[in-house]
Order: sequence, then structure tokens, then C-alpha cells
Amino acid sequence: MKESGDSKTVKRSSGLSRREFVGVAATVGAFTFVPRYVLARSGQSPPSEKLNIAGIGFGGRGAGDLAEVGSENIAALCDVDEKYAAGVFKQYPKAKKYRDFRVMLDKEGRNIDAVVIATPDHTHAVIAMTAIKMGKHVYCEKPLTHSIWEARQLTEAARKAKVATQLGNQGQASESTRLVCEFIRAGAIGQVREVHSWCNRYISPRGIDRPKETPAVPETLDWDLWLGPAQPRPYHPCYHPFAWRGWWDFGTGVLGDIGCHQLDPIFRALKLGYPLSVEACCSGVNDETAPLASIIRYEFGARGDLVPVTLTWYDGGLMPPRPAELEDGRRFGDADDNLCVGDKGKMLGHRLIPESRSKEFGKPPEVLPRSPGHHKEWLSACKGGKPAGSNFDWAGPLTEVVLLGNIAIRMSQKLYETGLKLYYDGPNMKITNLPEANKYIRDEYRQGWDLSV
Amino acid sequence: MSKKTMSRRDFMGTAAAVAAFTVVPRHVLGGAGQTPPSEKLNIAGIGVGGQGGSDLNALSSQNIVALCDADWRQAGGAFKRYPNARKYKDFREMLDKEDKNIDAVIVATPDHVHAVASIAAIKRGKHVYCEKPLTHSVYEARMVAEAAREHKVATQMGNQGQAGEEVRLLCETIWDGAIGQVREVHVWTDRPLNGINKVYWPQGVDRPKETPPVPETLDWDLWLGPAPYRPYHPCYLPFVWRGWWDFGTGALGDIGCHSLDPVFRALKLGHPTSVEACCTLVNNETYPVASRVTYEFPAREDLAPVRLHWYDGGMKPPRPPELEDGRRWDTNGALYIGEKGKIYGGRLLPESRQREYGKPPQKLERSPGHHQEWINACKGGKPAGSNFDHAGLLAQVVLLGNVALRPELREKLTRAKLQWDGVNMKFTNMPEANEFLRREYRQGWAL
Repeated sequence: MKESGDSKTVKRSSGLSRREFVGVAATVGAFTFVPRYVLARSGQSPPSEKLNIAGIGFGGRGAGDLAEVGSENIAALCDVDEKYAAGVFKQYPKAKKYRDFRVMLDKEGRNIDAVVIATPDHTHAVIAMTAIKMGKHVYCEKPLTHSIWEARQLTEAARKAKVATQLGNQGQASESTRLVCEFIRAGAIGQVREVHSWCNRYISPRGIDRPKETPAVPETLDWDLWLGPAQPRPYHPCYHPFAWRGWWDFGTGVLGDIGCHQLDPIFRALKLGYPLSVEACCSGVNDETAPLASIIRYEFGARGDLVPVTLTWYDGGLMPPRPAELEDGRRFGDADDNLCVGDKGKMLGHRLIPESRSKEFGKPPEVLPRSPGHHKEWLSACKGGKPAGSNFDWAGPLTEVVLLGNIAIRMSQKLYETGLKLYYDGPNMKITNLPEANKYIRDEYRQGWDLSV
Repeated sequence: MSKKTMSRRDFMGTAAAVAAFTVVPRHVLGGAGQTPPSEKLNIAGIGVGGQGGSDLNALSSQNIVALCDADWRQAGGAFKRYPNARKYKDFREMLDKEDKNIDAVIVATPDHVHAVASIAAIKRGKHVYCEKPLTHSVYEARMVAEAAREHKVATQMGNQGQAGEEVRLLCETIWDGAIGQVREVHVWTDRPLNGINKVYWPQGVDRPKETPPVPETLDWDLWLGPAPYRPYHPCYLPFVWRGWWDFGTGALGDIGCHSLDPVFRALKLGHPTSVEACCTLVNNETYPVASRVTYEFPAREDLAPVRLHWYDGGMKPPRPPELEDGRRWDTNGALYIGEKGKIYGGRLLPESRQREYGKPPQKLERSPGHHQEWINACKGGKPAGSNFDHAGLLAQVVLLGNVALRPELREKLTRAKLQWDGVNMKFTNMPEANEFLRREYRQGWAL
């Protein structure tokens, strides 16, 4: 992701090459993509050979990811919940089975080339870092990490280790993402100063307190491993499976769950970097779970000849008012969508509105290469091809910005009392006007866990 | 906006254009209950436990002769303070028995009883002070306003802010052209939250399954009044009825008549042409936890069209860049965006602009106090500032927003916003929405 003011990779309105498209994020620090084929590490597979892949956490979304890379060898599987994982274990009878990813990586280190990580958010970083340091390629579900600090560490580690990476925001590979970029770059709606992005997925219970009951841990679950680096707390089915998304210690709310999907095309199209400020309002805050509904506003500075942008995120059912340009009868709301407001028009998703404007404009010139598919991008990167579209140089900063929104929510009371919004220094990962907010930049790990394994 | 003076009469009568309507001073009326200014009014309270108790205190210069509440435990405080007042459970019985003894009533029941109680009193020629929102449904608001006009009684809604200095300064500042034409207004409340971490009353919840016994001090059937029958549960009262569709009107109904009142006065708003909303998951038992409602108002003479955005449950618009760091962006507030400036918290933004501007020329008469206005009106003085001609319109518009939140309409409303024909009281593009303008009463209840 480009930082404001750095114009190294921003080519003005002249279309963007494939290299730039996947590499927009590549400028945080001096960085050059090194094609896989010049690397001489173990695990480097020629395109003709199959990769040996290990899956970590696949009871939920991970199963889908494994199926997507099913052309390769699924060599090992790891999950802390045998029961939840049973279905996938059965699907891959030849894969060796583990509970602890550390044990798996230790034992299978020589046998595997790459890992797919689809655990709850709070364990993404420790697992990905361990794999990266062993030179394994990493596909990690979104959001990349649970904290901003973790995202930065992973991004840097992946760059240093020169492994092929991809975040699980598969929409980035879509035609839609390319159209959003191409419409905006073609000037179809002029300069964009305002973007509204909303998602009313329910994801999991939120706005609730920690339960008092302490039911027995199911025998099939290793609760201590499930907790991983998070602070200890008694097991409860309100956390696992899936429902962890609403809990601050494990998940990242709707914004974390969906933001990396939905904001991705906006970041690409508008070449957004770190925001200057962020503020939030929400339907009540507690220290345990994300709110039921929130509105988060980021302000981005000018980028080269691109004007400043206000990006507003809504979740829990909130959204912007219906734009006057949208004809009656066309759906608006009860979904995920993006509305870009330019000084010459509006775009809903990747369609100009009203429809008459869309027809008049037609299709924008195709300037971006199309993707072979999100998972294929990664597989071919692992085999020495180009970096995948949501490699960690892109996905790390994107995740950082997404997670910053949660800090604004968690600081709501303080922001109200002080009459401030959060001013952010992205390169230095620091909130500059309310130092105590910085405690949310980095999670305190439980003893025995760190990122330097 | 052209600099235009507005008389006290205009100010009181902003809403009076809904039909051919002339304010008739009390002294030309010959109705029963006409009290000379020197004499005390005989007042009855209907719903005296919560806000009703405060209203009684504000009117304690008059005679409080009768008190009525379906919940005698909740009414205990008021009963004690007015030991000479006769006590009732059923307002119909009270109005029957006290008809000759009372001049005026205060209605401060839960929202769902406002209309039936107010109209019963109005039809007997009693003056009415009714808590906000005026009614539970759009239709009721119109009926109550019409009845009051027909019976020429003195009325006042309980939005006491209307009598304050703030709303006058706001009107005068905007009419003075300090921020130019206003095309966009944002108004918000934290309710049903109380601040950021607490709640006043729950919303977004389902009907309880338990059916605890009705306390002996409560006449549950009377408390339900015209609402459909359901078993008693303490989740409905006292106070927390506000979150339930059948009884309350949510955060918008609770606060809208307070905080949208200045917008109506300053911008001379009438009926909107459209309304739309978004909200958290909503069911047909309680209002959603948070919502945003947007109204569009057409041009009014030389005033530009206005988009009015309402937010509740913690939602609010972004901090305007003119608001200096360190100044609170409050949990309840209003932001007026004009083509030449902004007003927040009644002050021009930024503060340097307010200092430079100073005070607007005073054009509006000041109020003797919200309750006093009504007392004066009851005794033949001018109509009170929030008389039902004004309050009826305001309440109708506020309650329209709740129609846009109805769970039954959510899917349809993803395809269009509701187009409103205020004069004929109907939605023109979604006939099924019209059923939520009015609701069926339980047998034995009518307006």
C-alpha cells in the first residue's frame, strides 16, 4: 500500500500495469519482488510439481481454502478441535494429523512447502510467523492478523523471507475489483472524495458480556491451544466454533471479518495508504465484544494528484441514505456494498448510477490484467510466478487500516470525553494525540507466546 | 434566506398552515372550563408516576384535584404529594365523575394511551397538556390535533425545550442568514443508550416467555388500554415500555419531539416528501438498537429543500472539520449545515465565527415558561408554543420515521424510499406501509 506523499509507484491516470496492480502495496520500505525461480530455498517447487501443503484450522473457512488448493498435495492438517475438524480429516485420509501447529511444523518441516491458515484471528500471526521463518509460503485468512503490530511484523517477515503470500480476501481477484479501479481511473466519476462502505452481516453475537458459567471443555478440544497467545479464560461454547468473531480477544468484529474483503477494491482504486485520522460511533461499547452496529470514518490525505478521501464504514445494518441517482426498484441495502461519490458521478459497487449514465459510459478501458483465480495466484507465486494480488505487502497495510477502526471503537468513551478523533501516524504505527490508545496497537501475549519463534 | 421578521404569532403558529386555521384567543371562547387569569385551574393528572409527576410539580400553582394511574405503586409519590386529590385507576371513570370539577388534564401515560386519554378529555372541553410524543401513531396525532382545534381547547405538548432561549436564538441566527440557506440537518440522540456504556431501556429484544403474576397495585388491563392484549411482565413497566412497538415509540419518539422541534421552527418545516431508514436487526416486538432515519423536505417559499438525518442508539454524523479538537461531539446533538456555515450546539462553528457574529437581532418574544404558557392559554391567553397544531404535525413527522423502521417493510424498502403525501396522510408508492400509520384498538377502545 502506498503511503501518502510517496509517489514512487503512482502512475498518473495512465493505467496501471499488472506489476503495479499487485505491487501497489510494495513500497513500504525498499522492496523488490524476487521471482520465486531465482530463490534457492527448500520448498521451492517448479511449476510442474505439486506443492505439499499443510492446513491449520479448517473447521470453518479453512475447508473451503483447502478445496481451492486441492490440485496440490494436502500433506498435513492441524486443528485444535478434533470434532470440528473431523469432516476435513476424513476428506484427506493421507494427510498427517496434528493438534499443535508448532509440533506439526517441527515434524513436517521438511515435507511441506506451504501452509494455509484459517484459525481464529488471534492466532493468525503466531502461526504465520512460525511458517514464514521456516521459509514456508503462507495463505492466511482475513484479516491478516488480530493487531496492527502483528500485521506489520508479518509483512516485514514475509518480505525478508521472500515467501509467497496471499490473504484470504478472494474478491481482490475478481472482475468487479478491476472494474472499480478501471472506472475510477478512467475518470468515470471524477475525483472521489467520499466513499461509503457497509456490511450488515450478522457474523456472531456482539454487544454482550462475558458469560459466568464455566462448562467443561469438550474432550475433543484443546482449549489451551485454541487460546494460543490470548489471555487465559475459561472455555465456553460462546467462543468456539465461529462465535469468536465478536469477542475482542479473539476476533475483530464485522469490520475485521469483512473490511479486508470489502475495502480492498477501494484501497486499490483510490490508492489509499494510511489514514490521517479515524473516528467511530457505535451502539454501545464494552471491553468484551464488538458493538452490534458501528460507523467508522477514516480520513485520507491527498495522494499525488488524488484528492483527500473520507471513507465511512457502516455495519450492523447501518448504511448511507439511498442516493438520489439510484432508480426506484433497484436494490440498496441489506447487503454489502460500496458507494463511491465522485465530483462527476456516483458508482454503486462497480456500476455507475443512474443506469442511463452506466449505459452512456459503457465499459472502462481494460488496463488491468485479469486474475487466474485467487488461490491459483498464490499457487503460482509459490512456484515462482508473480506475487499474488493480496500478498502481505498489500494485505498487511490494508489489515492495519482496517484494525485501526476497531481502536476508534474501543476508545469511544475517551474520544467523547476529550472531544477528539484519533490522529494516526501510519509509518510509525502510532496514535499521536491520545497515547493511551496505542495499547490497542499490540496485544499482550500470554506467557510462552511471541512472534520471534 | 432573506432577512424576514417573524412575529410571535408566526412562531407559535408555524404548524397552523396544515389547514385553514386561525388561532382563536381563549377570551373569545365560551366553552366550559374557561377560567379567568386570576383564578386557579382545576387540573387532573392521567399517568402521574414518571414524567407526569414532574409536570404536576410544574403546575402546582394550580389546583391538582384528581389523579389517575393504572399503576398505584408507581403513582405513590404523586398521591402523597397531593393528598387532597381524588384517586382513580381508569381515566374514563375519572373524567366521568370529575367532569364538572376539572378544567384541564395532564396526560403522561405511556405513549400508547396518549391519544385515547387526550381525545376523551378534549371532547369534554378540557384543556390538555400531553407528554411527548403527542401520540403513538401518525393517525392519532392528526386526530388529536383536529379534535383540539374543533373543541378550541388550550393545548401543549411536553417538549419543554420549545420555551427555551436556545431555540429562539437558533431561529434568530438562521433567520438572520448567519449560515445561509440550510439544506442539511443532522440530529442525534444516544437513546436508548445512556451515554456510551449504559442503556436507558432495552431495544432489539424479544417478548419474554414467562408470565409472572400481575402486581396487586397494577391494573394491567387498564395499563394496556387500547393496545392488543398480552400477559403482564415487568419488562414493560415502569418506563421501559419505550422500547416496545405496542406501547412506546422508541428513541425517535422519545426524543424526536424535543430535538426536532427547533429544526421545524427554524426551517419552517411542514410535511416531508419522503422518509427512509436503516437500522440494526429489527423485530416486530421492539425497536432496533440503533437507527438512522432520513427525511426530505421540499422548498418552502424562499427556503431551500432540506434533508434531515436522525440518528439514535449511539450513531451520529462525523465530527465537522470546523469543530475544534477538544470540543465534545456530544452524545445528543444537532448540526445545521448551511451554505455559509454550520451551527452545532446552538453555536456557529468554529467558535471564532460565533464570537465574531455575536448575537442575532432579537425577533421572537421570550416565553414565561413552558408550563406557564399552557396555564395562560387555559385562562384565555395566547396559544402555547407547542399547541397541538404545531405538536400534531411534529409528532406525525417524527412517527413517520418509525414506519420506515417496521420490520415488515425492510425488504421492500431496499427498493425505494417511502414517498409521503402529508396532506392526505398516505404513502404514495408503497400502499402496504399505510397500515402502520394507524393501528387497531382493542375492543372497547376508540378515539
